[in-house]
Amino acid sequence: MSMAGTTGRAANSAGRARALQGRLFRGALHSLLLASVALFFLNFNLLGTATASKRFSQDLVYAWFGSEAWLYPRVPVGAAHQAPAPPRVVVVVIDERALALRGARWPVPVQFHAQLLAELEVLRPRAILLDFLLLDPAPRQDTCDLLAVASRLRQHGIGLYLAVTRPEDLQLLDAAACRDPSGAVIRAAQVFTPVSVQRQVDGSDFVSRRYPFEQRADTDAAGSGVASAAVRMYCDSAGAPAACVARLTGAHSADAGFELAWSPAGDPFNQRWSHAPCIQAISPVRAILNQPALPRESPCPPVATLFAAALLSPEVDPALGAGNEELFTLADQSFLLVGGNFRGSADLITTPMHTLLPGVYYHAAALENLLAFDGRPKVRKEFRTPKIGFYAYDLLVLWLLAAIFQWRQGWVQRLHATDHGPFELSAAARAWIAPVIARCPTPVWVLATAVLLLLLSTFRSLQLIAVAVTVVILVGVELRVAPMAEVRERLRGLLVYLAAMGLSLGVIALAIWVGYRWLRLPPGDWLGYFSFVAFGFFVARTAILEFGRRVDELYVARSTGGGTQ
Amino acid sequence: MKRWLLVALVSAAAAPLVPADEPAPADKPAACAMLNQRILGPRSGGRPLPLLAGDPAHGFRAACSVPWSTLSPHNQALPILDCYQGSLLQVANDAACGRDTGPLWVSTRWVLTSADEQRPLNRAAACQHLETGALAATRDFQPDCLPQDKQTPPKAATAQHAPAQPAAPATPAAAAPNPSP
Repeated sequence: MSMAGTTGRAANSAGRARALQGRLFRGALHSLLLASVALFFLNFNLLGTATASKRFSQDLVYAWFGSEAWLYPRVPVGAAHQAPAPPRVVVVVIDERALALRGARWPVPVQFHAQLLAELEVLRPRAILLDFLLLDPAPRQDTCDLLAVASRLRQHGIGLYLAVTRPEDLQLLDAAACRDPSGAVIRAAQVFTPVSVQRQVDGSDFVSRRYPFEQRADTDAAGSGVASAAVRMYCDSAGAPAACVARLTGAHSADAGFELAWSPAGDPFNQRWSHAPCIQAISPVRAILNQPALPRESPCPPVATLFAAALLSPEVDPALGAGNEELFTLADQSFLLVGGNFRGSADLITTPMHTLLPGVYYHAAALENLLAFDGRPKVRKEFRTPKIGFYAYDLLVLWLLAAIFQWRQGWVQRLHATDHGPFELSAAARAWIAPVIARCPTPVWVLATAVLLLLLSTFRSLQLIAVAVTVVILVGVELRVAPMAEVRERLRGLLVYLAAMGLSLGVIALAIWVGYRWLRLPPGDWLGYFSFVAFGFFVARTAILEFGRRVDELYVARSTGGGTQ
Repeated sequence: MKRWLLVALVSAAAAPLVPADEPAPADKPAACAMLNQRILGPRSGGRPLPLLAGDPAHGFRAACSVPWSTLSPHNQALPILDCYQGSLLQVANDAACGRDTGPLWVSTRWVLTSADEQRPLNRAAACQHLETGALAATRDFQPDCLPQDKQTPPKAATAQHAPAQPAAPATPAAAAPNPSP
């Protein structure tokens, strides 16, 4: 008898374990179903409308947190010249004022470039990029002066990079057949490294968020094109340039690029000439308060900027030190990117902050990204291989979030089976509010409600106030009319909800850290995670989960009873 | 009386035909405005000085880079022959970069002049702004801005205690410290 009792208890225990396993298994499957639906909707982009919101959410991330080292580990300004720090990126701006100091005018003559290169040589930079296409005919002597100065800089170990539309552009300089003092012909390719300055913009809003690895035709093999300026300059400063370029340009489609992390804060060096404060903080609270969430302009760019006029004339900037110490500190062993800034030249980019900057900043920001992320910048999923692996990572994250959601729903239903959630009005509260409203004729309260909502839609500043007042009133009504037991249950439900939300946010934080730090995925998908936690559950639950459970019940019924028929 | 009237009429009629003297730029840089100024030495951190050949009428061109000792073997002060835009100083040396270059020019950025020593140290950088306007049809108005760097007090304090010291270029193109072209 006791033997039979023991056997029965063991059988019951095993049965409970099997039932628990079955519940867990079904729960996991339902979570996977929910996550799959969410993944599909997060990437559903039939008309391209999802792209804009995804990219804009990424812009907001950089606007709010772009100055934080965890998001964009730029070189601290004070540490730029300490031994282990990577070199600094400095933009040199040529404008009308600089040209006037040498009696020149736009378009920038080749002779001016030769003179400026000679001046920049004094600063002993690591490398110089000329972000100018030297395609216009120039006097032979001017071309030879440029090549002579460039040759001298090369001999002194300064890397020189010239913007081209294709490698053959350098042949225009070779046509002058310039010779050095020993009589040898100076080939342009010997002194200048041709680099691509092609830009990429997102088609949904024309913002330059990503930077191409190289310029090549769709039919050419990866790595066979002209490397982009920032890529080539970074790799030439790295240990193994060829391997670096091959790593960055290989295994990507022709239109691939890396994402530009961007900081809303200006470089402190620019405060010397900027009329606006360079240190600006944009708080996410501004978005909540319906205030502008992005900077309106960029009077103080995020990259250290030296106006060529200030370099050419101490009258423009006499504060660079009696012996030009500050100038040497800024530029010594730095990357100097020389670009133009002329009104009407149209050489402007729309930054991820949705402001305009001269085109040379595009390359400067890309180079800073490569330096900040140690040559491993952030790249979107669509440009990765194998692509499906990165989408599977998203599915894994959403699966975890869905499981937490289901766990929370189980708790809430156990606590308060009649209501859908802790935030919905109780039956008692509805029973109290309805008669109050019913004192007015239907046309009156309907029209009053319509007018109120019209006002809230028109005057956005009232929205936050209205939400706060509504919440206070409803909580007051609940506390007044609902039984204490009901209030306690709601509080417990609220605690469970908050615990689940906290757990979900923890999972999201971990997913973001792994995705951003290790998988090098940009922040474009972060909003999707959060929106899934906030809204996706509710939408998906009412549809696919109910459907899944119904199918499950039918299958169980068929297996147990119907299956034998 | 008639002769006097005739002379007056002829003078008045001829006045538009006679070009007026170019007014001397009031804000010409000190090294250009003062007589007998000299280049006292380099301030290029011991690095070679880039020299230019040519003249304002025919344009400048990069000539060569030489150490200060080449320009001044005995480290003596060099007389300034001419200056251009407050940016270039002409020295009495036409051999440092080889033959047929003519007198050479050096940037004021890289040399110390006697004028630099005579005038008060101005630590304020001129204000600049980037041209990001998409339209050229209108000229936007930029309010006055005071130069600011880490050596200068905050702008409000500077405005109260000291007048702004804008750059002193010699040409209209560079006349405004914060131009609004």
